[in-house]
Amino acid sequence: MASMHALRMGLCAVLCVTAIACSGGGGGSTAGSSSGGGVGGSSSGGTSSSSSSGGGSSSSSSSGGTSSGGGTGNVATVIIDQGPSNASVNTLFATVTVCVPGSTTSCQTIDHIQVDTGSYGLRILAPVLTLTLPVETVTSGNSLVECTQFVDGYSWGPVVSADLQIAGETAHSVPMQVIGDPRFTNIPTTCSSTGGTQEDTVAKFGANGILGVGPFELDCGDCDTVARFYYACAATCSETTVPLNLQVANPVTRFTTDNNGVIVVLPSVAAGGASNVSGSLIFGIDTQANNASGTQTVLTLDQNAELLVNFNGQAFAQSFIDSGSNGIYFTDKSISTCVAPPNDPSSQIVDFYCPANTLTLPVSIQGMNGTMTNNLTFDVGNAQTMLNNNFDAYPQLAGTVPAGNAGTFDYGLPFFYGRRVAVAVENDKTSVGTGPYIAF
Amino acid sequence: MPLFQSDAFKRAALGAVLVTALGPRIASATLGEPEVSVQTDVARAHASIKSSQDRASYRVHEIQLPSGTMMREFVAPNGKVFAVAWQGPSRPDLRQALGQYFDAYASAPRSKLTDRRHVQIQQGDLVLQAGGHMRALSGRAYLVSAIPSGVNVGDLH
Repeated sequence: MASMHALRMGLCAVLCVTAIACSGGGGGSTAGSSSGGGVGGSSSGGTSSSSSSGGGSSSSSSSGGTSSGGGTGNVATVIIDQGPSNASVNTLFATVTVCVPGSTTSCQTIDHIQVDTGSYGLRILAPVLTLTLPVETVTSGNSLVECTQFVDGYSWGPVVSADLQIAGETAHSVPMQVIGDPRFTNIPTTCSSTGGTQEDTVAKFGANGILGVGPFELDCGDCDTVARFYYACAATCSETTVPLNLQVANPVTRFTTDNNGVIVVLPSVAAGGASNVSGSLIFGIDTQANNASGTQTVLTLDQNAELLVNFNGQAFAQSFIDSGSNGIYFTDKSISTCVAPPNDPSSQIVDFYCPANTLTLPVSIQGMNGTMTNNLTFDVGNAQTMLNNNFDAYPQLAGTVPAGNAGTFDYGLPFFYGRRVAVAVENDKTSVGTGPYIAF
Repeated sequence: MPLFQSDAFKRAALGAVLVTALGPRIASATLGEPEVSVQTDVARAHASIKSSQDRASYRVHEIQLPSGTMMREFVAPNGKVFAVAWQGPSRPDLRQALGQYFDAYASAPRSKLTDRRHVQIQQGDLVLQAGGHMRALSGRAYLVSAIPSGVNVGDLH
């Protein structure tokens, strides 16, 4: 066991250097529409995953003959590493190619885009983007700029149009956001007043961008009638409604094929953690041989993409399974939380669980369709002990839910380890149901 | 000695009473400040007061914001707002809701383990906790020293 850890750490040391080198140079390289990077080969996107392709990728044959940045056909290679901030834990990354609409040469391949089933739309941090993408305009002719709200802060930047390529999948003129664009620096107070951190740099964001592939099509939905998140900007900005076709969209829904959802396939991870874990992000459900639905449990989701978790005899009605959460977050006052180390008394490690021995706890998850999981358990390890190992992937990392969110069980990336998890988009049909659903 | 002076609050002392149709009477949106001032806040935000409810030791105003988010304000017997909570697709204007405490929130150190899904902050008297995900955000903020005796913090949401 010790030798296994030593091996992993050695591997980490080598690959982490690669990751730093990749992100240090601006996080991307310019490439044409066919940028190589077939599964198992070297990738021009600069991902540090060159030796492992995850499950199912070799069987794909998909739309178009081109491929981009770690993946082919409908299978993108994804990786869990320490990311461009060198501080990520349980964070899943993919590589994406963006092009000026209509161009096959003005393109850029960007690695370390976080794969997030808990949000919608592609957002890229301006400092890593060398392309100039056209800003969307509203009817007044003013630029469309978005104030994206995350739980702990906000990101401000224009909505631009781009052609996208991920593995062999392509989408044309997709509205996406550029965060921290130097052309739009006057953040309206109605945006900054939503509070928290302004997440406009790679370091603050912890990624070169984010790829929201959750079970909805749009990041707002009803912003065609409600002025929320979006602004029309000239010399000054004012909140505006936005037609549906200009709202930032889950790019998968704009692929020409394989556009009804995604399947995340990740390997099991050793209890104490591992570094540089790689897997697959498969596009489409029941559209090809490699994304066929089997006999998995299908849990439909409510209007907030949430479902019901039963734990400790209590029902948590605002729960979600989410690749963008870096742990398992739930309330159990019987489990010890971690103690801040003396040299960092304000450490927020105190929000995580630190049981003396690893706990295996039963949980059941129920969809809106009434379907419930059977015999599911999850493990809670000692967060301080595992984080001291400096790995990237921790299947037993768990923390407390903020007390104001007592109805939530947030089952993050650890849920995905050792599983094949399908996320079907709202109103889209597969052989086993209609989205929004999650199946595994 | 009665906790409250108004008739409504006297009724509340006998048990929780739902008081509807209070109309434009109330709703301060600012933590630590008096309840009375802020008809104007509601008007400025184009919001509407859905209900006001008197509980054993505090009053709750439920405010529907035009953004779709529901906000709750908790008023202590001394007439000051001691907690605010929100749930919906977006956060409310926290600069207004937190008032003088906003800067403490905005400048609070960020967790190294952040994942854009959780916030738990204590800065002096201010506690702010938030969670959720895109299109479904919720949270609350309260002043530790201002919570009336007998109030269960877990009920403030």
